[in-house]
Amino acid sequence: MKIAITADGADLEAKVAQKFGISKYLVIIDLDSGDFEAVPNPGASAQRGAGIQAVMLTISKDVKTVLTGWCSPAVRHQLATNGIEVISGLSGTVRELVEKYRKGDLQKQAEAEVESAARRRRIDRGTLLQAAESSARQFASLLPILISVILLIGLFNAFVSKELIASILSGTPVLDTLWGACFGSIVAGNPINSYVIGGELLKHDVSLFAVTALIITWVTVGLVQLPAEIAALGRKFALVRNAISFVLFTGVAVLIVVVFNLIMGYLC
Amino acid sequence: MLLFPAGVLVVYGILFAVMPEKASIGLKSSGNIILNMLVPLSLVFILMLALNLFLKPAQIVKFFGRGASIKGVILSAVAGIISTGPIYAWYPLLKDLREKGAANSFLAIFLGNRAVKPFLLPIMISYFGWIYVLILTVFTVLGSIVVGYFVGALVNVENNLPSRSK
Repeated sequence: MKIAITADGADLEAKVAQKFGISKYLVIIDLDSGDFEAVPNPGASAQRGAGIQAVMLTISKDVKTVLTGWCSPAVRHQLATNGIEVISGLSGTVRELVEKYRKGDLQKQAEAEVESAARRRRIDRGTLLQAAESSARQFASLLPILISVILLIGLFNAFVSKELIASILSGTPVLDTLWGACFGSIVAGNPINSYVIGGELLKHDVSLFAVTALIITWVTVGLVQLPAEIAALGRKFALVRNAISFVLFTGVAVLIVVVFNLIMGYLC
Repeated sequence: MLLFPAGVLVVYGILFAVMPEKASIGLKSSGNIILNMLVPLSLVFILMLALNLFLKPAQIVKFFGRGASIKGVILSAVAGIISTGPIYAWYPLLKDLREKGAANSFLAIFLGNRAVKPFLLPIMISYFGWIYVLILTVFTVLGSIVVGYFVGALVNVENNLPSRSK
């Protein structure tokens, strides 16, 4: 079993750090083997999201218990939902805490903390408020682009006739699918925009092949974000993934429409 | 991010000056689209709230790329489906996971499955009907897994790590 202790230094004589999110190190101790490793906390230098980075590090190290000076309720909740208990309000050196933990002195304190956390959860409306806030932010971030896309579609409806679209899109499934896939691969952004654009294009008699290819490649293939993907995951990965996705999902778009037409034909 | 909305407003401004009738038709048409979307958009918000209440980013990290073969595939797909926010926010984490040994195939499966967004289903269903949405969703998930398989087979882990000195 592994425990993690927030520390100001990278050894057992280091003092326990008082804040979980921004402690310099997490000293991970394997109580079975006695081995330890000091891992620099990526959250220590982070300006935002320090807590979540430390949480991710803790989870990745398969730690069961965190010993620290102080831990925010949000971070404590994140750790608890991932099965990690937190014992806080501690001070001293890493070595002293390990000894106390081995003797079972700290576990009683943990039990008391779990009980009070459970009590807090029952009456806590904070979680709901937090989720509502986060959803409102997420939702609000969708709106500027979505409304702009809808305004553009309005102009599209005002200026572009069905005849004009028919003259551009041939009506053959393969070419229509390719047009849709190319458009969907170039543009990027939240998929909700592709649903609105696709839905409105259908009203202009654009074929379902083109619309399906547009929707399915909108997220799966991303030329606009290709440089960012290359920087993060490597040139070969990004190029191969996007190329395979383009070819495969263009084919899948045709398959989807064929299956859909078969099912609708059967139902009607 | 606001460049695009600002551009659209400028276009409308110009059109109202030179072709007010067409601009009014466009605006009215947009208004109708928004009215039709009000109910599905409300459902989108409720689903977002439910997902934010019950799913946490840290849990996604725990899911991601763990386990071998089938389990890893399923967990990576689930992580892609429940992930939210712009892809740019996820790249640093994906890079980190790759450096910790997450397989290329799992990363590709994650990226492909980001196309499936449960909280946006009401909008999609309002436009296309549930049968089409169901088929599209199933094929997107399966297609992403096939892409993951090919990426895993074609991309060698050692030679694609970004900016690593040799």
